[in-house]
Amino acid sequence: MSATLERFSTRTPSTSRRKPRRPLRDRLASIAFLLPAVVLVTLLLTAPFADTVYRSFFDDRFVHQSFSGFANYHRMFSDSAVLKSLLNTLFWLIGTVVLPIGLGLSIAVMTNAVKWGRIARLAIVLPYAISGAAVAVVWNFMLQSDGAINSALKSLGLSSLQHDWLLNWPLNTVVMIIANAWQATGVAVILFLVGLQAIPPDTIEASALDGAYGWTRFRHVVFPQLRPVTVVIVGISLVNGLKAFDLIWVLSQGGPARSTETLALTMYWETFVLQRPGSGAAVAVVLTIVVVAVSWFYLRRQLRASY
Amino acid sequence: MLGRTIRNIAVIVLSLLWLVPTYLLIVNGVSSVKGFTGTAHWLPTSFGFFDNVSTAWSVGSFGPAMLNSLIYAVVSGGLAVLVASLAGFAVVAMPSRRPAFWFWVIYAGTLFPLQMFLRPLFSSYAKLNLYDTRLGLFIIYTAMCIPFAFFVMRNYLAAVPREMVEAARIDGAPWWRVFASVHFPLGRPAMAAAFIFQFVWVWNDLLFGITLSFSPGVRPLMAALAGLQGNYSTVGPPVVLAGALIVSLPTVILFFAFQRLFVSSLRTNI
Repeated sequence: MSATLERFSTRTPSTSRRKPRRPLRDRLASIAFLLPAVVLVTLLLTAPFADTVYRSFFDDRFVHQSFSGFANYHRMFSDSAVLKSLLNTLFWLIGTVVLPIGLGLSIAVMTNAVKWGRIARLAIVLPYAISGAAVAVVWNFMLQSDGAINSALKSLGLSSLQHDWLLNWPLNTVVMIIANAWQATGVAVILFLVGLQAIPPDTIEASALDGAYGWTRFRHVVFPQLRPVTVVIVGISLVNGLKAFDLIWVLSQGGPARSTETLALTMYWETFVLQRPGSGAAVAVVLTIVVVAVSWFYLRRQLRASY
Repeated sequence: MLGRTIRNIAVIVLSLLWLVPTYLLIVNGVSSVKGFTGTAHWLPTSFGFFDNVSTAWSVGSFGPAMLNSLIYAVVSGGLAVLVASLAGFAVVAMPSRRPAFWFWVIYAGTLFPLQMFLRPLFSSYAKLNLYDTRLGLFIIYTAMCIPFAFFVMRNYLAAVPREMVEAARIDGAPWWRVFASVHFPLGRPAMAAAFIFQFVWVWNDLLFGITLSFSPGVRPLMAALAGLQGNYSTVGPPVVLAGALIVSLPTVILFFAFQRLFVSSLRTNI
């Protein structure tokens, strides 16, 4: 309403004669307000971003590098370490959706139904507040070959279940995904709970009148109403899983023998350890494409909401 | 009835399982290195927390690292929120031709993985003598904090009635005055919220810390913790765990003090 009024008023003769100078000055003023943010973001984020994309089409030499087209991308898919990293990234994608979503939903539903659920939830949410590097330290302590888990198994008389958790692939990647889920499930629990509490009670009452209880009610009444929040949680989990660096880096630096790398680690390893800037840039670009692709269905919603 | 019992047992078992790592962190982080025989303690035996912390201080240079991270988080977080508020004000209150364009210019930075920025930053920092300097880390942390702070501030300031801006302008107030006396005071709650998020983000950063710095006087706390973890067998597990305990304390306190804030942000953050 006010927008149409404004547009209307600018067309009236009295204001249109006065306008030409002021909008220009105002626009310049608005640019002055935007400038610090735009300059910092452009110089430190946008320019490096463009440079990485550009660099990914050149070979690995430090000086006089020559254009190599898609060679860096092509080589990625024939390098066995990178292929394993891609496979691990796929494991992470599956694990970060299945574990936090499955556990998060069941914990939210179960604790929402009991009075002391708050206390139980506190235990699940607490790790979310711990720094990623600290989470890695704790899990390293538990997963070492002479760590807490193996010593507990031994004292329980279950020595046959002991493993070198961090040394053998794919077990090491799986336990890291579990460590990540330990930290990330809290977020899913909180969001599912928000979703559960937003369900109108009369839909539950109506289903009770129809004789729907337990699983049937959950399946046909509760879960469909949780769909929007589920989309958000899937998006957050996927993106956080893909970006996970601190946990893997502190736990194993991607090793042993590069077996626990995901794309986030491979980029760092190729660029700064093996000193192959071109290959590292190509990995970064692929990672970005994956991140944008998997979060697209979730982003779409956000884009519509914000502009 | 049976279903309810099973559910209660499931909840109890799950939450106890979840507490195991935190429990081990605390019990072993406070036990003394001398009494540590190579296997994890499941029950508290000896107390050596302060010795562990002092080892972390001397071997891992936790003292300067903690101070560095505190300064980075406060200064960069604060500066970013101020810069982001100015930009948010410009986008929602001032007449500009393409507010959506400016929004995306500033906001797009948060959507991509940090790996896209690392190598070019590293080489230009090396060229400009910003590598391994506090100034260099200040600059990148500030830039990294701007997009999300901008998103928060823009959404919050959009609720300020246009009439207030128009009234101030008709009274002849210049734009900076409108910002200082209308949007700045009204936006303070959102600024505080954005500051807390950015504080936590900078405090938890490891990637920029290990990429753009190495000396103990410059590197942030998480880089120091990763370094201490590298000395795991030399200093003994209790020292590393005590270090992990200490670095987590500020974020855990902030999280539980502002739990509501973090919950509501989860739905907007990616």
